[in-house]
Amino acid sequence: MGNIFDILVVNPMTNILLLIYDLLFHNYVLAILVLTIIIRLVTLPLTLKQQVSSMKMAAMQPQIKAIQEKYKNEPQKLSEEMRKVGFNPLGGCLPLLIQFPILIGLYNAITRTLAVTPLSLLELGKHIYGFLPNLSSLVPVDSMFLGFIDLGQPDKLYVIPILVVATTYFSTKLTTPASTDAQTKQTNQMMSMMMPVMFGFFMLSAPAGLGIYWIVSNLIGIGQYFIMKPRLDLAKAEHAASVASSSGSSSSTSVSKPSTPKARIPPPRSKVKPSSSAKIGKPGSDIK
Amino acid sequence: MKSITRCTHHTVRAILASAAGILLLSACGGGEVPPSAFPGITVDGSSAYLASNTIVYKLDVQSAVENWRFPTIPDTANPRGPFSGQPIKFGDTIVVGGSTGANGAYDKHLYGITEASGQEAWRFTPPGDKGREFVDGAVTDGKLIYAPNGDGNLYAIDPAQKENNQPKLIWTFNTTNRLWGKPLLVDGTLYQGALDHKLYAIEAATGKELWRFEASSAPIAAQPTLKDGVLYVGAFDSNFYAVNAKDGSLKWKTVVDGWVWTGASVTSDAVYFGDVRGKLYALDLATGQRNWTYETRDTIKAQPVISGTTMVVVSVDTNVYAFDLKDIRKDATGKVDFNNTKWQNITIGRRMYSTPAIVGDAILIPIFDGDIKVWMLDVNTGSRKNQFPLPPPATPAPGK
Repeated sequence: MGNIFDILVVNPMTNILLLIYDLLFHNYVLAILVLTIIIRLVTLPLTLKQQVSSMKMAAMQPQIKAIQEKYKNEPQKLSEEMRKVGFNPLGGCLPLLIQFPILIGLYNAITRTLAVTPLSLLELGKHIYGFLPNLSSLVPVDSMFLGFIDLGQPDKLYVIPILVVATTYFSTKLTTPASTDAQTKQTNQMMSMMMPVMFGFFMLSAPAGLGIYWIVSNLIGIGQYFIMKPRLDLAKAEHAASVASSSGSSSSTSVSKPSTPKARIPPPRSKVKPSSSAKIGKPGSDIK
Repeated sequence: MKSITRCTHHTVRAILASAAGILLLSACGGGEVPPSAFPGITVDGSSAYLASNTIVYKLDVQSAVENWRFPTIPDTANPRGPFSGQPIKFGDTIVVGGSTGANGAYDKHLYGITEASGQEAWRFTPPGDKGREFVDGAVTDGKLIYAPNGDGNLYAIDPAQKENNQPKLIWTFNTTNRLWGKPLLVDGTLYQGALDHKLYAIEAATGKELWRFEASSAPIAAQPTLKDGVLYVGAFDSNFYAVNAKDGSLKWKTVVDGWVWTGASVTSDAVYFGDVRGKLYALDLATGQRNWTYETRDTIKAQPVISGTTMVVVSVDTNVYAFDLKDIRKDATGKVDFNNTKWQNITIGRRMYSTPAIVGDAILIPIFDGDIKVWMLDVNTGSRKNQFPLPPPATPAPGK
């Protein structure tokens, strides 16, 4: 399994990272920056999908709670009703799970190309493509950043760990949808505190180059959030309208027919036009 | 269903957090530090000196009994190691270098350990704040110690003279990238491969550069081998070079399949070495043409060792292979059948990166990971003779 993952994900990324490093004047930080941007762009549709889905799931919480309460003794019916309201618990998980190996691959490619130990340089030697002979002349990569931070060493000045904590905090805070459910809210709060602390603590003993990747990745994530925010707001507004209108149309069970009146959703007030490719905000679309 | 509702992105975040936690714990957890440095072994008379992860051991070769270890107890306030490369004997001290830990942090000291007691006699720290790891140990001519460092400098030090409470630095030879292989010292000349793609010849007494060879477009991490005035060394550009030791001119070069990090072993008519893709090569000494190749399943990092007509090769594929150099049967393409070895000890089961030491009819093989640090095999049959540490004494059965 490890070998397959290496062949399909880590090895191509390792070689691409070295190629970019070669093209960008042997500047390793620039190479990380460019490869991270490429990967974030490639996975953008998945990120978008996951964020919209998370937001929808969070907005659905009161509705879901009501269904759970109502059908707590009828598992079959509960399942049916959940399906009817468009509840898809994996909708938020799957895109993230698909991105996870890609991010792990990038992490491994950075660790491998930094080759901070002789052992890791030896491992790198096994994975450089033979048909790209110039790549071997690039190693070991120049790991100095700004002349005083060795990307292959833990950052003794703590600049990188502090930036990792700060960017992880803001990234987590921004991308975690607000929830009305107390328990979810508590989990979110805990996560938004724990994640940055854990990553920061990890960075105290990890090579600074990994921290650069995390910081860049977080900053891109934050940027993506602000670019996508109007679309997310749009989707949120549509969803709220959908719920409101379905509540109004059904007196018996407000949650039983939420998807039928989609045609009656009022046009979104946001000035941002929904993207047809992303299929977000398009009235009647069924985003999961 | 309620539990499923929790599985939105929170679950994945929890997975990510757990993964970070595991990484964290693996970095900070107790127990023995996972190996990151290549072990090294040297035999001197009846004693063997082994640098293995964070400890240097002195062993009795015959009994595999430990005489001492350095440091005696781990000192968390003043951590030493990991150690790597072959220790060397200099007077009444054993000299070994600090290397790089798994997280990239390194011990940048060269240690002199009193041979009789295992206590630290001295330590040398490269001047300034640029010093890094001593990956492959040092060499000596009995007067000075020559130690290549990851900071790109080759240091010549004299432990007999002290300066700032450490061995006196006699000269420094500077290159532009890391020195991860040790030099070859012959007749007052040091031949040093560097990760700056060059092979240097340096006068040992003065540190003066005699010549440099720059045919390679990739790092040289292997220790060169000298035979009849010709240096043999491989590089990361997947070339193996024969260079005239007198002036650094190229005699021949041969393309191989992978990076070469092993030192080579030479007989009267052939040169033997491995590559990172696991292939073992026998090249004609005069022309560089391939005599034969043999494929192991993983990297060959250790120099092949020859005893009589038997050549022993250890591989990261966890196997030990022995070849009878007088009786190599190859096919028309020069490939030796996988089963055509004198013997294979396929049960070591642990990675081996380091050059073994041969003592009489025994071969001592440093093991990279696992509880057993050294396996001692019979060089003629491959059977196991001993191990270090020794196995725990058998517990007598109850009632006996």
